[in-house]
Order: sequence, then C-alpha cells, then structure tokens
Amino acid sequence: MSAVLKWGAVMVVVAGCVGYLIYSASGGASEYYLTVSELRSHPVYDQDVRVAGVVQGDVLHPSTPAGFGPLTQFSEKDSTATIQVVYRGPLPDIFQPGLTVVAEGRLGADGVFRARQVLVKCPSRFSTTQYTS
Amino acid sequence: MILAYLGSGALLAALIMAGFAALLSFWAGWVENLVMIQVGRRAFYAAAALVVCASAVLEAGLVTHDFSLAYVANHTDLATPMPLVAAAFYGGQEGSLLYWTLVLGLLGSASLVASASLGPRLAAYAAAVLASIATFFLVVLVLVASPFDLLFVTPPDGLGLNPVLRDGGMLIHPPVVLAGFASFAIPFSFAAAALLANRADAGWIAHTRRYALVAWSLQSAGLLLGMWWAYHVLGWGGYWGWDPVENVALMPWLATTAYLHSSQVQERRGRLRAWNFGLVILAFLLVVFGTFIVRSGVVPSVHTFAISAIGPWFFAFLGVCLVFALVLLGLRAGGLKSAGRPAAAVSREGAFVLQNMLLIGAVAVVLWGTVLPLVSGLFGQERVVGESYYDRAAGPLFVLILGLMAAGPLLPWRRAGRTSLRALRWPLVAAAVMAAFMMVAGVRSLPALLAIPLALAAAVTCVVEFGRAIAKGRLAPIISRRRRYGAYLAHIGLVVVVVGVAASHFWQQEKDVTLTPGQQVSIGGYQLTYAGMEQRQLADHSELVAAMRFGDRTLEPARATYAGLGGQSLTHVAISTTATADVYVIFAGANSDGSASFRILVNPMVSWIWAGGIVIILGVVLGNVGQRRAAPVPVLTAAPQAAPS
Repeated sequence: MSAVLKWGAVMVVVAGCVGYLIYSASGGASEYYLTVSELRSHPVYDQDVRVAGVVQGDVLHPSTPAGFGPLTQFSEKDSTATIQVVYRGPLPDIFQPGLTVVAEGRLGADGVFRARQVLVKCPSRFSTTQYTS
Repeated sequence: MILAYLGSGALLAALIMAGFAALLSFWAGWVENLVMIQVGRRAFYAAAALVVCASAVLEAGLVTHDFSLAYVANHTDLATPMPLVAAAFYGGQEGSLLYWTLVLGLLGSASLVASASLGPRLAAYAAAVLASIATFFLVVLVLVASPFDLLFVTPPDGLGLNPVLRDGGMLIHPPVVLAGFASFAIPFSFAAAALLANRADAGWIAHTRRYALVAWSLQSAGLLLGMWWAYHVLGWGGYWGWDPVENVALMPWLATTAYLHSSQVQERRGRLRAWNFGLVILAFLLVVFGTFIVRSGVVPSVHTFAISAIGPWFFAFLGVCLVFALVLLGLRAGGLKSAGRPAAAVSREGAFVLQNMLLIGAVAVVLWGTVLPLVSGLFGQERVVGESYYDRAAGPLFVLILGLMAAGPLLPWRRAGRTSLRALRWPLVAAAVMAAFMMVAGVRSLPALLAIPLALAAAVTCVVEFGRAIAKGRLAPIISRRRRYGAYLAHIGLVVVVVGVAASHFWQQEKDVTLTPGQQVSIGGYQLTYAGMEQRQLADHSELVAAMRFGDRTLEPARATYAGLGGQSLTHVAISTTATADVYVIFAGANSDGSASFRILVNPMVSWIWAGGIVIILGVVLGNVGQRRAAPVPVLTAAPQAAPS
C-alpha cells in the first residue's frame, strides 16, 4: 500500500511540474492571433502578435542596400481595416496579392507592422477554382 | 464514367460488408458462436478486398486521365509526370481517406489472420471493433467525401498538382505517414477486444505490441521523412515548426513510445495492466483527434487540408470512440488490478513508470499548444504559441527522459542494489567529461549543457550493455535476445537524432544578404562567393539559377516558375552537407541592379538526424524480425465440423 501511495505521490508531483511548465511557458510565449480590424481597434504595441489578412495589390520591393536581405512592403486587409506591413527576408513562394497570410511581428507606434515572419496558408492545391460535381 | 460506377459500387459494397462484419462479430463473440465468428472475420476480409478494388479503380482513373472524375480532374493534369499522377491517389482529401481505409483493411486483415491464438471471443471482438472503424471511414467515403464523384462536363485537362508536391518526397512521405496513422487502429482494436472479452493476459500484450510496433515504426519513418522533405524541399531552413499538422503526428508517436516501454513491465512483472490499455487507447484517440483538427480547419495551421465537410463526422467519431473507451475502461478497471508488488523507485520498472509519466506529460504539453487557439478563442482573444513555448515546456521533460535513457537500461528489475548502481559510473563519467569539455569550449547555454552530455550518457549506456554481452558470450546472446539489443540500437539511433536536433537548434546561424556578382559573404567560418545568375528552360517550368561558389563546389539555389500554373513560383534551396554542418542557401530574389538576395543558414549536424533515423528503424527491424510468437492456444481453426451447420 505504501508503494502505491509513493507512486501516486510521484504521479502528482510529475503532473504538477508538467502543469507548471505548461502554465509558465504558455503565459510567457503565447502571442495574440488577430485579424487586421482587431489589431486596428485594439492596437498592441509592446509585444509580438500574429495578424491574419489578405495581401493587397500594393506589394513593393524597394531596392535593398547591399549586405541586407530583400525588403518587402505590402498591406494586409480584412473586411473593414487595412494595415501596412514591412518585412525583410525571403517571402513564401506562393505569396501574392489576394492570398491570406499571417504576419508575425510587432506593430510600431507609426502604425506600420514590422513582420519577423510571413506565413502563407498553404492550400492543398493552388488554383482558386475547383471543379465541382 | 464506368470507373465511377465501379468505384462507387465497390465502396458501397465494402460499407455493407464492413457493417455486417461489425454487427455479426459482436453478436458471435457475445454468444461464442465459432462458425459465425469465422463468417464475421471473412466478411471483414471481403470488405478489405472491396476497398482494394475501389483503390484499383481510382488508380486506373488517375493513370488513364479520366477527367470525368472530379477527383482526377482536381488533382492531376496531362503534364504531370506519371509517378506523381499515381501518387495523387493519396494527394487529396477523398483519396487520402480511401488510402487510409485501404491500409486499415489490409493491416487489419493481417492482424486478424494471426489472431486465432488469442481465443475466439477476443478475436471476434477485435474483428468487430476493426470493422466498426472501417464502417465509419466507408460511411464518410460513400456519403461525404467520395473520390468517385462525376463532373457534369468532362474537362479536356485537369487542374494539376501543386508544384510543392511535385517532388520525389511526395512518393514516400504521405503514404508512410498516412499508413502510420491508419495502423494505430489495430492495437486499439485488440485492446478494446481484450477489455470486452475481459482477457487482460499476456497473449493480448504480445499481439498488440507487435502491431503497436508496426504503427510506431511507420510513424517514426513518416515523421522523419516529413522533416527531411520540409528541410530539403519546402526550403525555409528548418525541419520542424511545431505546426498543428506536425504536432498531431507526434502525439500518438509519443504515447506509443510510452506503451512500448510500459508493456514490458506487464510482460515481465504482470503490472501496469490498466495503464497499458489506457496508452493504446490514448494513441488511437489522439489519431482521431488529430485527423479532426487537421482536416476541419478548427485551428490555424500553415498547411491544413482543404477545409471540407468531414470535420463534424470526425468530431462525432471522436466522441463515440472517447465514450466507448472510457466506459469500457471504467467497467473493466476493477478486474485489472495487478498481481505482485508495485515497483521500487530505483529499478527498471521504476524507470519505465517515470519515463511513461514524462512522455504523457510531453503529450499534454504538445496537446495544449495545439488546442490553445481553440480554447483561448472560446474564452476571449485567440492566442497561439510558437517554438519558445515548446522549448520551455517540453524541453525539460525531454532532458529528463534522456537522463532516464542513460540510467534505465542499467537498472535491474525489482530493486537496484549497490552493485548494479555501480554500473551507472560509465554514463555518469561520460556526461561529466562532455559537460566539462563543452564548458571549456565556451558553451554557456544550460539546455545545451544538459542535452548533449545526457545524450552521450544514454549512448554510453547502450555501448556498455553491448560490451557486457560481448564480454560474456560473444555475439550469440545479442542474436538470441535481439529484441533487447535491437532496442538498444534504436536508443543509439535516437541519441544521434537528439544530438542533431540539439546542435541545429542551439547553434544555427542565419544571415540575410544582398550580393553583387563577385561579392563574398562569410558565415559561421564558411566563405561563399556569389558568381552570377542564369535563366534555364526546363520541360514544365523555367528556373532562375543563382550560382554561389563554396570551396571547390558551386551551389545553385534557384527560383522556378511554372507558367502552366498561373506563374506559380517555387524556391529550390541548395544545401551542401558535411558531417558537422549543412550550408543552406535560399535564393530570395533578383534585383534590377543585377544583385541577388539570399538567406544563408549554417545548420550544424542536421545530417545526424537522418542518419540516426535510419539506425532507429534498423534497430526496430533487426530486433523484431523472426521473433518467436507466444505458443498458440489451439482453438477455432479445427472447429467447423463440430459446429452446427
């Protein structure tokens, strides 16, 4: 009986530790996942967020100073709001206007979103039209 | 046209057969009617054969470019190379479900053929549970996601395959990982059957372990192939992104890893019986849950399947499986009290129990990270977690598991005395020396100072075990007790993987640069010189190649453009692999002034991950080939004459 109690206690301790790890890590490392209008109506400046929206037709690749990666400017929009995004680095292959992307980064005080990473929702196929029966 | 009718007909007939097999087997098992048990099992074989027919029909439709089938038109075109056309069988939602059912039918049949020795009731219930799962998939295939839907107008050409999938990896990774997913249903069926038949003895464990091992091996290979593909083809510089799609493949693997260890405690010491049932059931529930969240789009993922109508069906199926498993475990838990004394803390079984708790803890961490967007969305603003969450929450658990890998194999069963604890000095010394060496070399990261020395200690433990066997009786014991030594080989493989993962995680270097021809860049002690750009025209696409000189080699990262697919572009990364590091070059774009932009990464020891993966699979295969089966109990096969006809 005492051995059963002992293992029960070990299990409680392990479960407690795992619970603490999950709690502390998800508190410190989680980011808000927002739409463009949510970020516009409740701006978050001091922490990383992910913002999802549709790439607009104003994609710009300003010439890049030597020694740095390529710079891209574009705007993301959902049904009501628009945001300017600046990103330095290689873009996903299928990045193009009209596609839903998720930009991960920080909103600057100037209202421009500086992305560390741009993720594209990867559809299982690329054409927007699909034959239906 | 005719193919569509043949295929739909085969699926419908398979559905009827599987439903019949499920009902008949449950009833026949209940009343122990030996003839009807046979009939039920054969009905399952018939359903599997019909699924094989349906699969053959779909494959025929694909290779003959029968664009009257919506599935064929949506996933292939005339220009797609033939091996990839054939691979489109599992490339889309409907086809992948059919492929899943095919694996379930074939592996399920194989497991049932070998199930007679478990006794008629258990075999009947196993057939019933397997047939019920197959029935669910066939209902979905017939009613919501049929690969045999016809188009009103037959188009002259199909829409083609996504260029990212136009790769050799498409021929290996998806079928292996889908087969892995499908195969977790088999251990689950036998676990549920053993609970239904109230027979929680060693025969059940031996049979289930074999198929759990098949599922585990397929899933290991599937995960590693997926990592390899992501690294070499998708070209973002890494191999693991903690995306929900990856997480749901990892969780059943972790749960089954726990089961493969804890089942030994039951085999050797007759303990942990309820726990073992729980693990097998958990692995299957995680598979169903994963399929639900991946294919319904309820959590944000960078690579979810096309969102479709099958989500609610899988949600309902998950609910049914969960309730069924909980009720079953609840009803039978009282009868699963283990014989013998519980484990001493410092013993082999004690190490297994602790390792199991840590692995299930890791499952909990990954599960929480995966469902957080869903849960937080219900109570307010949606939140997501990234890599740092998994580092902080799962990292400590993995470090502890490494420590157990180093100590566990050297501990004896029952209770460890002083003499056996003395054996721990070798891994301890190795870890201490490694840690000191790393400190001297200037490493200050605590996670790295824990992970790599402990990995070395785990490897030393396995080497000590091999050394002991060789010292005693040369190679004979290694061959006769190959299951044990195969497991040690798999441990060594895992250690190699861990070192590769740790090194590339802690010491990856990254640089974004824009270079003019002739300009040089230096990263991580490597020198690269940009030589210039070149346009090349290939069969179905054109490539803009940027040549990068690296030592006496020329790396050629490129951007391909597929004119046939609306100008879809695709990055081809260039990787130069050595044993110590990969130099990984991504061509990010060409500029109007003739310069080119690159992201260059130095990924230390990534090739160790692939090498270690091969060692793991080798260890599992060598350790289990030609394993003697438990002595069969003669039942059933000679029965028909005695039974009323």
